[in-house]
Formats: sequence, structure tokens, C-alpha cells
Amino acid sequence: MLYKVLKKGSYDLFLAKLIADFEFIGPVKKDKATHDFKKISDIRKLDVNYKRTTIAPAKKILYPSTETLLQYEINEDIEMSVDYEAGEKILFGIDACDVNGLNFLDRFFSDEMIDEPYFSKRRKLTVIGLDRMPSDTNFSLSLGKEYAKDGFDLFLTDLNNRYFVRVGSEKGNDILTKYADVSDAGEDDFKDYNKFMDTYRKSFKLKADINNLYDNYELIYNNKDFWNRVAKDCYSCGSCCLVCPTCFCFNVRDDMELNLKKGAKTREWDSCMIPEYGLVAGGHNFRPDKENRLKQRYRCKLKTFIDRFGTYSCVGCGRCIEACLAKINIAEDINAVKKEVSV
Amino acid sequence: MSKPKVGIFGLTGCGGCQLEILNLEDQLLDLFAAIDIVHFTEAITEHSDNYDIALIEGSVATKHDLERLEHISKIAKVIVSIGACSGIGGVNCLKNLYGVEKAKELVYGDKKEWIDAIETKPIDEYVKVDYYIRGCPPNRSEIVDVIRSLIVGKIPEIPNYPVCVECKRLGNTCMYDLGKTCMGVVSRAGCGARCPSAKSGCEACRGFIDDPNVNAQKDLLAKYNLKIEDIMGMFNLYNACKKTDRKTI
Ligand code: SF4
Ligand code: SF4
Repeated sequence: MLYKVLKKGSYDLFLAKLIADFEFIGPVKKDKATHDFKKISDIRKLDVNYKRTTIAPAKKILYPSTETLLQYEINEDIEMSVDYEAGEKILFGIDACDVNGLNFLDRFFSDEMIDEPYFSKRRKLTVIGLDRMPSDTNFSLSLGKEYAKDGFDLFLTDLNNRYFVRVGSEKGNDILTKYADVSDAGEDDFKDYNKFMDTYRKSFKLKADINNLYDNYELIYNNKDFWNRVAKDCYSCGSCCLVCPTCFCFNVRDDMELNLKKGAKTREWDSCMIPEYGLVAGGHNFRPDKENRLKQRYRCKLKTFIDRFGTYSCVGCGRCIEACLAKINIAEDINAVKKEVSV
Repeated sequence: MSKPKVGIFGLTGCGGCQLEILNLEDQLLDLFAAIDIVHFTEAITEHSDNYDIALIEGSVATKHDLERLEHISKIAKVIVSIGACSGIGGVNCLKNLYGVEKAKELVYGDKKEWIDAIETKPIDEYVKVDYYIRGCPPNRSEIVDVIRSLIVGKIPEIPNYPVCVECKRLGNTCMYDLGKTCMGVVSRAGCGARCPSAKSGCEACRGFIDDPNVNAQKDLLAKYNLKIEDIMGMFNLYNACKKTDRKTI
């Protein structure tokens, strides 16, 4: 890792040059208190000081909510064609836990096979992270996801009069050398960076006591009474999954034209919280009730991938907490497990 | 494969669903190639009683509607309901809130005896409906999907999840975050979250999902300081004939 310093005064020019030369995506204000990652062609639209999470996570750039996987035409043979959109893009201003979210998806979509629609875009994406103070629902600190060790090309930390820049890749270094006026980080810069990180880590309001959850989950799993309480207000609306930066489940639709000759396979974000998710041919449903669906979602987020990848699949971003109209809160529920098992 | 014979009928409704079929425009030729439309209330003068599939728009709001529906159901092997009026009763059900007699009087005054109105009901209160194309008006792509599914013999994929799913896929800001009321969380999707995308709360024109959490909806209103009347107005627009426990495909 290289460590550089970018002067405050050079920051705007750096970004303006990137906006001019690349397809540049960053956080923009959407409605009232909400933000979204959008393509930016005017630096004034960029708004990195968002207080909540963005509505949709940045994964949508690599894994759009609806995406054509292939098109086909039935003549004598079946002809298939694929066309994955893949231009060079810069994703700017995602925070550490969101970078960790992308890291998880990178791993997931290359685990058993390379998911080409995802990686065709990932290979051409330059990620420039930016530390920001945690939003009220962010509990990434509790999961060790508040800091991104890798998965970015550049990572900026605002130290008031300058930016501390961590260079995570050769591509990042090339961009920095070409577009920015930087110097090597010195002792004072590291000291200030440490100070920032300490303040940042102390700013997390929401905390989840995740210790022992891996083991306690066994005990709580069959406690019907507990799950009935936790899931009581759940609408089974799926929002929690659909806003999650690490949820990967999708449904594939087959849309054939009326002439029965041409068609397309399309994938769209799915959610394990909606009843049809567990519905199979013959009308049997593996998880017909919301209590079972919620405990399965939590298990996937907090346990399954400890076994598979040695990490939680939740990065603690808090989007599901913000999105849930029933005010179901994964961090509080982690604490509730601890309490239930302890008393 | 011989082409299935299809009749398209309109009971009490605005005719907009039938119009959406005509609006298929660039797919109309493929449609006519795939099915043989022998009756089309809104588009064809001739009429025929020889059909296998009946697409029925509109609710049953008059005695005459009921007679026609019974006649159609004796002939058609497959009945497809199109639109909110046909599937859940729709706006015509507002009449029921007044009571039939009072409503007739309000609208027709001293000529009310001329009118054969009865309590409004969706068609599945009288006949078995095989498939539902939902919405007011329905999505054209869904009309095509259902017809194509019938031709190839597969179950059409009509969403049974709430509008929230489509909002989130689109990245819409939640209506509740904008201080508005929305029925999306208990309402059936498939519309592409049309109303919330235009910053207007969902009014459940496609009816409810199969297992809506009605109790949670009440808690939600309380949390956002909304009154039950706020949501009843929205609820009643399309669902005054409500049957939230209606199970469908
Ligand atoms: S967002 Fe909340 S209400 Fe909706 S499915 Fe998730 S936990 Fe249930
Ligand atoms: S489960 Fe919730 S907190 Fe965890 S990563 Fe997903 S949206 Fe964020």
C-alpha cells in the first residue's frame, strides 16, 4: 500500500478532471433526506456529506436490479447472444463498509464460477472510497467492517486541510499520478489519520454484541417464541434484502415474444423475505411463514458465510434498518439473541 | 397447433383494459397470429359464441352483467380476469359503501327505477377465474405474458409480492420518508411501482398480496402519526369490495 496526501485545494480539480475523462458515479441528493449513486457530469451535483445511507447500494452498478443475461432466437437452431455493458467507470465516494460489501460480492460471484455479467463490469470499475462519519443506523464497527483493507483503488480520508490517500492498486496509482498533485504521506499525516480514525470509531451510536452469536444461533434457532416476537410486524416486503449491499439472490425470468421465436432471459433482484422465494413446483413452500424467513435471512447474514468464507455477509451498513417500515433492526436483534440466551 | 379462440368481453368498467389490448400496437399482428379473436366488445362489431378462452374486463354491477357472465362461463374453458374492476371489484365498489338503493337515488334521482344495478362484485364471486391480469389499467407486458403462457401451457408469473420490491429495484425514495401514505407494503406488485415512481402513494389497484400483515399496517400508521381514515380512503378506492384473504394463483 502506498500512502499519499492530496491538498484540499487540489481536490476539486482532481475530481473535475476525472469527471471530464471518465463515466463518474458518486452520491447525489435525491429527495429530502435521501441520496443515491448516480452518474455525475457536474461536480456541483456531488454530495458526499450524506447523513443516511444511499437508498440503493453501489452494487447496482455491477449487479443491476434488472439485467438481461442473454437473448435468443429460435430458428432451425437456437441462437443465443450476450451483451454485457462494460465501459470504464469510476465509483467515487463509497464508504468503508460499502467497499467491504463489494468485496463480499466479488468473492461470492467468483466462488464457484465467474459471474460474467458482474465481472465484465467489475473489471472496468475504479473504486475511490471516502471515509465518512457513521450514520445513525450504521453498526459496521461491531462487525469489524468499518475499515476497508482492500477492494478499492484509492481510499480518501478527509483530514480537514488535506486528504490522506491510501493507494490500493496500480490502477489507483496511475490515476493519482496522472490526475492529481500529491505528495508522500509523512509522520504528521499518519498521526492525523489516526486521530480521525479514533474519532470515527467513537462515533458509532448503534452497536451489536456479536460475540458468541455464531454459537448462540444454534440455541435460538428453534425458539419459536423468540422469532414470533422478532418478526411480529414484518410485512414480508423484501425491502431489507433489496437495499442490502451484499444480498445476491436473483430470479431469472424468461420473456418470450408472442411470436414464440425471440426472447430474453432476465435476472432481477429477489428477496428471501417474500413468500414465493421458497415456493417450488407443485406448490410446496419451504418457508411459508415470516418468522422462518427472517431467521433464515439473519443466519445467511451472520453465520452461513462464517462457514463458507470466514466472514459475515452483513457489513453493518444499516440500510435494512432504514428501509424497514416495521422497524425491524438487525443490530438490536443480534443483541436480543444474546439477551435471550443469557437470561 | 390450431389457434385458440378467444373472446374479449367488457362488463361494468371504463373499457380501459380492452383499450390496453388495442394499445399493444407493434405486437398486435403477433397477437392476431397467435390467437383467433372471435369476440371483442370494444373493437369488433360481429360477435361469436364460439370461444375457448374468455378475457373479461369489468365488474358485475348490474343484473345484465351477471346474465352475460353466466353465459360466458358456460362456454369458455378458461376464464381470465383483466383489470381491477374484474379482479377485485375496483372503483365500482365505491357504490356499495352507500348501499345500492341510496347510490341509485343519488345518481339517477327519480329515474332510479330504470336502472337494474345490484351490489357490485368482482367476477370471481360468481365464476371460477383461472388467471388474473391485474391493475388499473393492466400492464401491457403482463397481458402479453398471460396470453403467451396460455398458448405454451405454462403458469403465468404474476407477482404476489408487494410494490416495495419494485420500488427498491428502482431505487425510489419510500413514500413514508416523503411524509406520504402508501399502500405499497401490502399491495400486489406488477405495475412497476408506477404511482410511487411518480411520488404518489400506491392505492392498491392490483389488490392485496395473499398474506398481508394488516396488524403491522395499523402499527405503522400509528408510528407515522397517521390516522386509520388516511389509509381507508386509499384502501377503498379500489378495494371497497375487499377480501384480503382472496387466494389466487
Ligand atoms: S424490510 Fe422489514 S418488513 Fe420488509 S421484509 Fe424486511 S424485515 Fe420484513
Ligand atoms: S443485512 Fe442490513 S446492515 Fe447488514 S449489510 Fe445488509 S443492509 Fe446492511
